[in-house]
Amino acid sequence: MSAGAGDGTAGGLEVRVDRIRCVGTGLCAAAAPADVLLGPDGRAVPRHARAEASERLTEAAEMCPTEALTVHLAATGELVAPLD
Amino acid sequence: MTTAHPAAPDMPALVPLHCLRHAEPGPPRLAALPTGTPVWVVTRHADVRRLLADPRFDRASLFSPDAPATTLVPNLLDDPQAMLNLDGEEHQRLRRTVQRAFTPRSIARWRPWVGSVVEDLLDGLEAAGSPADVVGAFSRSLPIAVISRLMGLDGLDHERLGRWSDHALSATAYTAEEIQQAMQEFGRFGQQLVDERRKDPGEDLVSSLVEAADRTEGVTEAQLVSLVCGLVVAGHETTMTSLGNALVYLLSDGADGWARIGGSEADAAAAAEQLLRAVPLGDQETAPGLLRRAVEDVEIGGVLIPAGSVVAADARTANHDPAVYPDGIPLFDPLDTPSLTFGAGPHHCLGAWLARMELELALHGLARRFPALRLVDAPDAIEWRRGLLTRSPLRLTVAW
Repeated sequence: MSAGAGDGTAGGLEVRVDRIRCVGTGLCAAAAPADVLLGPDGRAVPRHARAEASERLTEAAEMCPTEALTVHLAATGELVAPLD
Repeated sequence: MTTAHPAAPDMPALVPLHCLRHAEPGPPRLAALPTGTPVWVVTRHADVRRLLADPRFDRASLFSPDAPATTLVPNLLDDPQAMLNLDGEEHQRLRRTVQRAFTPRSIARWRPWVGSVVEDLLDGLEAAGSPADVVGAFSRSLPIAVISRLMGLDGLDHERLGRWSDHALSATAYTAEEIQQAMQEFGRFGQQLVDERRKDPGEDLVSSLVEAADRTEGVTEAQLVSLVCGLVVAGHETTMTSLGNALVYLLSDGADGWARIGGSEADAAAAAEQLLRAVPLGDQETAPGLLRRAVEDVEIGGVLIPAGSVVAADARTANHDPAVYPDGIPLFDPLDTPSLTFGAGPHHCLGAWLARMELELALHGLARRFPALRLVDAPDAIEWRRGLLTRSPLRLTVAW
């Protein structure tokens, strides 16, 4: 799956982290270090207010063991990853 | 399937796990492991969570040449090649080969099938008639059926599987030689499985794992085989234990909740979550929690933990931290804060969603089919599987 890759959403994505669900596995930060980092409390934090579509970012969302990290279209809020 | 570990005549009777008392959480305090090695025990919910997510506390250095002894008798969890004992990038690399199969979305796809296994087992239980052993006929069979299907282990010898599991998670039940011998045999089984699926891949988890590992540079064969063996054991042993101990509670002190668990899947899901939080898997005889080692000086909970120290994340105490959870087991209240039963950080339990789903469907199915289910013997007469890291009823005679 390569949600959003090359479909004109460049810079138009928003990474969201549910801080209650996040258990700090760090799989997201390992998959997409340019977009996500682990904060001092061990929970994931988006690096930037906006992100660009990439396979790495999609993978970060797909790998999250608790589905705490999701990627949305910034304009509409529509979920782009993870998808089934 | 299991080697029985009935109590020796001189062993004290054990209370059900939901009756164990819990320490008052507080700042990290110094204790000792059975090996004599000092250990910092971390007990507050927030501190345990932080500890498990902080890369300055690792697993690999527990096995470095300068490491103090942390186990009297090593078992499967002390294999330095086990995923549990890798850290950082090396760990992430291996974890990514299996993670996709265990996300909530992937696990949800198994739900109808797991539900049908539950129904089949309940049919068998009903046909056999009251009274029956619900462990042998249900709580042990379900997780074995599920992991066998997931990993494509048709025709797996359940006797052998039981023996390997018991040795893999042995605390005091077996000698180091017995464990080593069983783990070598188990390792050969794992290697054979990897070889087979590499040659002739199927739709199962082992095939997809081998395929992903072979595509990933740096994953060693030893890590792969250890992971396969780990999945077989972890895939059923802990779920069987949770389910058995949940039933002990729900058919004794928690009997008030039985009708509601049978009445709604959502209520069963809430109850499963609460039971996973509140009923521990074992007695923590070998260590007061999940062990880590400080790779540098780190302050946690207001206490400076010096570099090189062994630290235990006491999730069991943290799961009863009054700063986070109300007293008792409010069976149908949703958890506002996730429990630490499945850990946190990089090693957060891979099978958490599978375990939750199995527990939820099993409890719901059983309570719906047998609304009048009751224990035949008093809880203090329960015989336990002993000498393992986990403790669960050897058998549980029920009537309806």
